[in-house]
Amino acid sequence: MNVKTYGIKAPWLRVALRVAAIVLVTAAAWMLRMRAVELLPIDYDEDDYLRAAQQYQVAIQNGDWGALTQLNYRPEHPPLAKLLYGLALVPLPQVSEIPDRPTSASPAASLPQPHLRVARTVAAASNTLEVLLLACLSPLAGLWLAIHTFTIKYTAQVMLEGLPAFTAALTVLTYEQSRRHAGVGERGHTGWLVISAVFLGLTAAGKYLYCVAGLAVLVHWLWQTYPTTKTGGQNPFSPAELKKIRFNPFHPLRLFARWLGPALLWGLLAVVVFVAASPYLWSAPVARLWDSLAYHGAYTQSQDVQGAGLPLWQPMVWLTESVPWHPGVFVVGLDAVITLLAVLGLPSLWRRRPLYALWLLIGFGFLLIWPTKWPQYILVLTFPLSLAAAEGVRARLWLPLRAWRRDWRRAAPATGRVMRRELRAALPWLAPGVIVLALITFYPLIFQVGIALTDFNTTSIKDGIQGGIGRELWKGVTGRAEPVQVDIFARSRPSSKTVRYVGIGTFLDFISAGGMGLLVFEGVWTAAAVGAQAALGVGVALLLHRPGVRFKSFWQTLFVLPWAIPEFVGALVWMQIFDPRYGWFFLGASFPETPGYPLAQTLAQWQQDPNLAFWVLLIAGTWMGFPLMMLAASAGLKMIPTEVYDAAAIDGANGWQQFRAITWPLLLPLLAPALIIRGIYAFNQFYLFYVLNPPYPLTTLASLSYYIFDSTGKYAVSAVINVFTVIVLILSLLWFNRVSRAGKGVTYA
Amino acid sequence: MRRRVSLPQQVLYQLILASVALFVLLPIWGMARLAFDETLKGAPVTFTVWPTKFSLEAFRKAWQTPLQALSFLGLLRNSLIVSGGAALSAVVLGASMAYAFARFRFPGRQAGLFALLLGTLLPQVALMTPLYVLLTRLGIRASLFGLMIVYMAFTTPFCVWNMRAAFQAIPEELEEAAFLEGAGRLTVFWKVTLPLALPAIAVAALLTFLVGYTEFAIGWLFIERGENATLAMAVSAIMRQTLPWSQLSALAILMSLPVVVIFIILRHYLMRGLLIGGMED
Repeated sequence: MNVKTYGIKAPWLRVALRVAAIVLVTAAAWMLRMRAVELLPIDYDEDDYLRAAQQYQVAIQNGDWGALTQLNYRPEHPPLAKLLYGLALVPLPQVSEIPDRPTSASPAASLPQPHLRVARTVAAASNTLEVLLLACLSPLAGLWLAIHTFTIKYTAQVMLEGLPAFTAALTVLTYEQSRRHAGVGERGHTGWLVISAVFLGLTAAGKYLYCVAGLAVLVHWLWQTYPTTKTGGQNPFSPAELKKIRFNPFHPLRLFARWLGPALLWGLLAVVVFVAASPYLWSAPVARLWDSLAYHGAYTQSQDVQGAGLPLWQPMVWLTESVPWHPGVFVVGLDAVITLLAVLGLPSLWRRRPLYALWLLIGFGFLLIWPTKWPQYILVLTFPLSLAAAEGVRARLWLPLRAWRRDWRRAAPATGRVMRRELRAALPWLAPGVIVLALITFYPLIFQVGIALTDFNTTSIKDGIQGGIGRELWKGVTGRAEPVQVDIFARSRPSSKTVRYVGIGTFLDFISAGGMGLLVFEGVWTAAAVGAQAALGVGVALLLHRPGVRFKSFWQTLFVLPWAIPEFVGALVWMQIFDPRYGWFFLGASFPETPGYPLAQTLAQWQQDPNLAFWVLLIAGTWMGFPLMMLAASAGLKMIPTEVYDAAAIDGANGWQQFRAITWPLLLPLLAPALIIRGIYAFNQFYLFYVLNPPYPLTTLASLSYYIFDSTGKYAVSAVINVFTVIVLILSLLWFNRVSRAGKGVTYA
Repeated sequence: MRRRVSLPQQVLYQLILASVALFVLLPIWGMARLAFDETLKGAPVTFTVWPTKFSLEAFRKAWQTPLQALSFLGLLRNSLIVSGGAALSAVVLGASMAYAFARFRFPGRQAGLFALLLGTLLPQVALMTPLYVLLTRLGIRASLFGLMIVYMAFTTPFCVWNMRAAFQAIPEELEEAAFLEGAGRLTVFWKVTLPLALPAIAVAALLTFLVGYTEFAIGWLFIERGENATLAMAVSAIMRQTLPWSQLSALAILMSLPVVVIFIILRHYLMRGLLIGGMED
């Protein structure tokens, strides 16, 4: 493997440092998990799995081995993890059985000790082993996994996550070993594959969900061994090969078998191991497995899941915040940073270790699709996520930093004199505008940071305006003020008539209490809105660009209308359609006014249902935004010389090929400004949300800030949100700049 | 690409375009049908495609009934003062700054451009809290002048950014020719550059104007008395009450109509004005 050198030359020192890093990371992981084992309160479901473990404990202590095939409390989940907890309880005395309560019951008030602690420790130990595995791949990745708060929480409780997460990692690792020995005639290849199949079977017997790792392996396998001339075999679908069918009808089938066969066998072996590791299935495998699987399908539609009202993109929220529920338990909360680094590192991971990138992507896709959105599910991908985050550090921080340092040493001496002359010439031109802008735009922005550090609100408005903000800030900075706390979402305000110093507490609270979640919504909303606008706008522009289409300018003029209408009027016209009581759509949908239109009644609930409300917002947003895209695309299309198409037509390219190869790549740079402008509009969108009033998680930062200012009068909280927005905008601007500088070579070639 | 479209294709294309037109027009008609309906009291309770009784009554009412203690024209006057004043000040104060960014390579230029762009990207709400405090302290928060300053703060960075792009689009060679004749920088700016950039600057000013013309949410936070309300603020105030939907619709249409006409006439210039500069530099 490619060991990173980080500038250290001596090989023995590198190895020693690496081993030390692995040991340190593993120790840190163990300590963090044991801390959580001690401190975490009892959570949902812990009583269930501890009860299951108790039953196994009793059976084993009584030597009643046959009972193991009949016991599996909470049979919707396979038994292996519960059995492991049961084994760990064997040395302990029996205590009265934990009562049987429904899954939706609130967390148990108390559970027997030390049983709870022992079972939790087993989970924590298996997860620490997972960290060890990852640290061997990359110590930094191990560190990320070691401090990932969601991973810590759900493997320091009696949940089912610890064991299958570990065996899933082993499945992928052993499979990777087999790929390394995949050369011609090398031994060990099959052995590693058999081991990985065994681990996949154990994973399935731990918790079904973690089999996405096996899915990733399968995809990687079939992709890598796809029979092409390059890998030795023949492409079974090439014309030359297909011709042979005439002489040997079994030829392509044989190729197929050679390709799919081993993977199929591997899967079968995993299934066998799965059944072998699930004693509960032995007496009636098919029926009991079916019941268990059917439960999960039904559960997605149950009141528990539907009633939670978590939107489609909720897993992204779980990934971008640290565990918000247990203050003081987790030493550091960098989950958001890990996810950010993972996003940055994913392209590089894809090039260097596609297997893990596949695991991450497939796991993420599954989380998005699967309707149940419990937070512990993200543990199926925290292993590759941490690896991607480590890759992000290497590819996006370490390597650029090294290159930058090299450039810095070579930089030419500054041309100071010329610059000073230019400044003197520019100064009189700059002065008036700079002064005005500084006073009315940039000074307020800085002042806002000051407001955000206090608890300024309507009650203390008089004091604040008469200089209270500055006074408290000075006190706070010089350490003479006792910081107070601000409750962000409470409707009540502090009763103090004077402004008080808070510090960055409100800001941190906002980030942990939903700020990152809002950012996820902002991302989803911006991408969806701009995507829909671009699709419709470019589509219409392409149609209007075809020679011979009649009434072009008439249609174009008509389509400009929504753009010309002020945004809040545009939102108003859609509200007059979708208003749940008086809207045009709903007046028509329930016509004639008789009960029994369930669909219309469901739809009329859109102001309570985030997923429905998203569609309403998207329809209105597309209506408002597509005209600018259409105009920009039309202008762009006119600039593409027709000769290019003539050449393509001679080469025999069809319409779609022409679009893919010519129109789109030439159009995209011309469309970029429009895409960016509409993206910023969507990110800052305010009136649409103000008028349509969708349910809470669907709000832009701007709308939330306004709402808090206007209806709760907590000016400081609204300032905190604004500061957050400005920071996000600055970061995205820096990123844009990097991207556009990289793209410049293409755009202005 | 060169061949003409056949008749079935033509029909297909026209059908697709007509369905997009339906998407565009349906909500607009949804509003118009309310505005032209005389019989509507309060909110509509039955599904109608056409106004039950067609009349311009709602428009007459919207024109004559005073809102926020002001007539339609009074509100319009406030809107013009506030947003026109903001746009004019932004252009006049920002033009020379924009020129400096377009022509000089002074130290701190990159940082300045970054700050300008940041100011352009800010949501209006992001400046609301500090401006509220600062303008209250100055005692001008609830006045038309105060509101004008608020809208200026929102729009000046955008205006400067756009004018900079407009100046940059004018070839420097034209100025250099004038320098050779012995003209100074100021004369050249006044006689050569500014006239050439004027159309683009006008578009920037118009876009700036429209921000203030359609803004109401922050306006209502700052303004206290109805006599200082702008047109958009008055319309939004009805939106929250249960006044007849027809009158609200009529007002919204009256307010949007001039903008729509201007947009349709100037659409290509406005689009270029919005997209100019993009993200480069």
